[in-house]
Amino acid sequence: MSSRRKHTWGVAAALSAGALVLTTACSGDSGGGGSDDTIVIGVSLPLTGDFSEPGKGVQRGYEAWAQMVNEDGGLLGRQVELKILDDQSSADRVVQDYEALIAKDQVDLIFGPFSTRLVVPSARVAEEYGMLFVEPAGAAGEVFEQGFENLFYAAPAIAEDHYDYLAEYLLGLPEDERPQTVAVASMDDPFAQGTAYGLRDKLAEGGLEIVVDEVYPPNTTDFSSIAAKISSSGADVVVGGTQYQDAVNLIVSLQQLNYQPRLAAFSTAPTNPEFSAAIGAKTEGILSPTGYTPEAAWESNTDFVERYTEIHGSPPSEDEANAFTTGQVVAAAVEAVGCAEQGDCQQQLIDWLRDAEVDTVVGPLSWDDAGRPQSAHLIQQYVDGEIRIVLPEDAQEADFVFPKPAW
Amino acid sequence: MNTALLFQSLVLGVLLGGLYALLAAGLTLYFGVMRVVMIAHSAFLILAAYIAWYFNQQTGWDPLFSLLITVPLFFGIGVGMQRLLITRLRPATLTMMSVLLTFAIALFIEGMIGFVWSGTQRRIQLPYSGDSINFLGASVAVVKLMAFALAALSLALLYLLMKKSRFGQALRATIQHKEAAQLVGIRTDRVAGLGFGLGLATAAIGGTALSLDATIYPSLHWHWIGPLMAIIVVGGLGSIPGTAIAAMVLGIGQSLLQVPLGTTWAQTLFYVALFATLMLRPQGFFGGRLAQRF
Amino acid sequence: MPSASDTRSSTAPDDTTGPGGAGRPAGAGPWRGRLTTGRLIRLGAFLVCAALLLSFPSMAPNPYILSAGVVVLSYACTATAWNFMGGFTGYVSLGHAAFFGLGAYSTALLIRDLELSPFVAWLLGGVVVLVVTIPVGVAALRVRGASFVIVSISFVLITLLVFQGWDAFTGGSNGLVVPRPFPELLRPEHHRVFFYLFAALLGVMLLAWWAIDRSQFGMGLKAVREDEDKAQALGVPTRNYKLAAYLISGTFTGLAGGMYALWFGDLDPIFQFSIMLGAYMVLMALLGGVRHLFGPLLGALIVGSALEYFKMEFGDTQLHLVATALLLALVVLFMPDGIIPAARDLVRRFGPQQSSIREMTAAELLERNREAAAEAAARTAGGTAAGGTAGDGDRTDDGGTDGAGAAGSGKEEER
Repeated sequence: MSSRRKHTWGVAAALSAGALVLTTACSGDSGGGGSDDTIVIGVSLPLTGDFSEPGKGVQRGYEAWAQMVNEDGGLLGRQVELKILDDQSSADRVVQDYEALIAKDQVDLIFGPFSTRLVVPSARVAEEYGMLFVEPAGAAGEVFEQGFENLFYAAPAIAEDHYDYLAEYLLGLPEDERPQTVAVASMDDPFAQGTAYGLRDKLAEGGLEIVVDEVYPPNTTDFSSIAAKISSSGADVVVGGTQYQDAVNLIVSLQQLNYQPRLAAFSTAPTNPEFSAAIGAKTEGILSPTGYTPEAAWESNTDFVERYTEIHGSPPSEDEANAFTTGQVVAAAVEAVGCAEQGDCQQQLIDWLRDAEVDTVVGPLSWDDAGRPQSAHLIQQYVDGEIRIVLPEDAQEADFVFPKPAW
Repeated sequence: MNTALLFQSLVLGVLLGGLYALLAAGLTLYFGVMRVVMIAHSAFLILAAYIAWYFNQQTGWDPLFSLLITVPLFFGIGVGMQRLLITRLRPATLTMMSVLLTFAIALFIEGMIGFVWSGTQRRIQLPYSGDSINFLGASVAVVKLMAFALAALSLALLYLLMKKSRFGQALRATIQHKEAAQLVGIRTDRVAGLGFGLGLATAAIGGTALSLDATIYPSLHWHWIGPLMAIIVVGGLGSIPGTAIAAMVLGIGQSLLQVPLGTTWAQTLFYVALFATLMLRPQGFFGGRLAQRF
Repeated sequence: MPSASDTRSSTAPDDTTGPGGAGRPAGAGPWRGRLTTGRLIRLGAFLVCAALLLSFPSMAPNPYILSAGVVVLSYACTATAWNFMGGFTGYVSLGHAAFFGLGAYSTALLIRDLELSPFVAWLLGGVVVLVVTIPVGVAALRVRGASFVIVSISFVLITLLVFQGWDAFTGGSNGLVVPRPFPELLRPEHHRVFFYLFAALLGVMLLAWWAIDRSQFGMGLKAVREDEDKAQALGVPTRNYKLAAYLISGTFTGLAGGMYALWFGDLDPIFQFSIMLGAYMVLMALLGGVRHLFGPLLGALIVGSALEYFKMEFGDTQLHLVATALLLALVVLFMPDGIIPAARDLVRRFGPQQSSIREMTAAELLERNREAAAEAAARTAGGTAAGGTAGDGDRTDDGGTDGAGAAGSGKEEER
């Protein structure tokens, strides 16, 4: 036995022990959230990575909500404080974030993250700690099929139903005006697919022919092949199950091929304020479903839009509104039950929400047993360079333009 | 699949293959002179694209002008990297450790890009982004054509440099037989440094070409390094003509396969080709004799 | 000079790399020598560390720390599994995340489609990985060095594409939910159970590594690491040995992945087949020291804790990538043999009196001198014949090896 090996072992032992102690020590400082006077609300959001654009929108919405609640005297007379972590659009991180927020920082309430893909894992953490979980973005149908009992989606409708008014409208057209063929391209993402396939299936049922049905992975950057396929099919309708950047890329690629559909619908992207500039202002006639419009006359909405515009200089878009709605829903439950802390209180909040109807900036919301909201999405369209509500007719801000002008 | 779509895909494939060829040529150059698999090649590619985007953002000029900055800059970084980092590694474990070192560089670049410009996807908005010209019935986007022209021009320049100049001769001698090159008086270490710089300059050009018509984000380089590595193995490690041919064949193949299979499965072509090459001809299909040993 | 065989017979259990010997107390190796103070210290240190590790769940101040502990242990499992290939043969695979993901998905799919009980599915998942690893190994091991790394990275990328693309079977980008194996447990309890499960898995791996390290098989693998051509010339069946090591390594990684799937519950191709995960394995093993039994574990403790800490503190930036990159570059450039040898050198430099402690017998002194001589010889001549084959590689570790190495290779030659 050489003396070297002894050293080795001693060193190894010391180092591993040190590392262990370090692990325990460096994380031992529990955040000490939840002092008596403030209500600490934990959130994990994708501030970097694939979903960072909408993630930041949600962050703005949450922060606007907190600021406005505090200006109005707080919740239950207590000030509200947000603790926002970045999950880098990663499911692994989001779980650890919520674990840390609930178990380590002992936050009083939690709000949901952005994107369906991150909602399912984080809802499970919340459920296993018995927390109420209201979320602004987990719209895909499968979220509600996991048997969660603590989950509520704070928007008017689940993804599959977003295009309901559009499908109704198209199928209601006289036979000779009705489009005949449909091309669908969707990101491989539960939300994006949910919206696009909801419309696709309804149109297929109504007798339209699906001529292209493409799925691309979330990080796709080259859309020329997909565009070539759509263009060569000459479909009347193009439906994009998109988030943001993929819609921009797909539209630019379609423009490069000089493809002119009679109707073009894309989820999410067109509601983004940067969308128009990104595709060279050739937005005329592009459709998108939305759960929200700043012009809506709901009582709390006028106040929200006014004060939000004051803070940010521009009116809120859908992501901000959904986040704000989440805040409103949780606040309603907290005010009604009269508590905001971990433990039994959470179950009371859940039970109250199950049967409640809450007035929000997107209208009155209520939920079924799985947390599905029971309202519908609006359809908006770029008309004269502005994005306006065109369907349903009773909420119309502008006339529906069909067929779509050339881009 | 109708003929028009087939032809359109073929044209797209050629345009894509051109870019692949330029980038893979750089990758094979490092390998030739130093036996280094430069994982960071595509990270530099994305860095160049980001610089082009930022340049366009700040000045409003065409991103092509950013080449005036990135090409000399990257050439310098390449020389410096070879002289200061790669040569520090123990010769015995050079191949393995250099992979890890360049992997670390790739991560570093990815992290810094994310830190400086955030993880948001970026795209240069050009007045001619949506324009296209008609070529025998296929629409060819102007931006793609420019990217291809840039790649083809650089590749031609690289070829001339390798074939005609004294430096090129020294470089080729170093690739073929380092010890022999030393014996005839070539300062192989200097040549290797310059070769490295040259390789990185291809990344600068490729990145700028890429930025014209693609969305960029920090982790995008992983999507490029896989196909590029497959190309250089299929083409035969160290052989630039083999690499160019393999790049073209696989680029066209990918583009054609996207029509029936979709984008995800079409990408697997590269890896299928890689594994097939290893099983059938580990030394690569187009010359190159180095694969077996390295 | 006391003959090589003499040295070997007296220190046989130690005649393997570094703390391979240190594992002996755990493995209850034969107590042939005197019960020296050194052994007592080592045994004590080992027991203290093991006790520290196992008492971690009760020391953890909150469930979050406990879950971070589970993550770190899962890293330790993957890094140790990686080291079966990387440490013994010197083949650096950046693609072991593929086996991790395959293990995770096989386990999940076996539970979903065949409705097997979770831990049966987990074991079968390991078998699935083993079966997949065979053709991959055969293809990958046809080449060496850089090409092998290329193949390993490609393997992750191709599995990522397949698992994303084949969404009818794998759930694609929507991910796959793995049912909880213990649905009745509360979350903190769940973490605690899996902490011990991972610890047990790690124990099995360490034991296997230790056993191989001492075996003729291990000797052959190390010969491949030092000079594959010479090893082949000496009759080591390099191809089969490498393949065997690759299979063991892949399967263990797969088992770690399956365990992770059962613990974590949500699978997404992007995270299961992530190049970063493969890079972490390499970094951890290299940092700790690939030639040491506990090297990867030590590396995982350091890197894993640092990663968790970094993500908590600087989560909203990409700086953790930069930190990982810098650490990897530093390790590659300045201590490619890992912390254990580096720290040992440092300790030795500052502790001359330690060498005068009377534990050192005459035989040990002799051995050390001989080792220094062998080291010098290896440096200058690059090693000669059999002695050099295994010897020069282990020069940084201990000199005892070259005697045993020669014998090991010699036996191969006889076959």
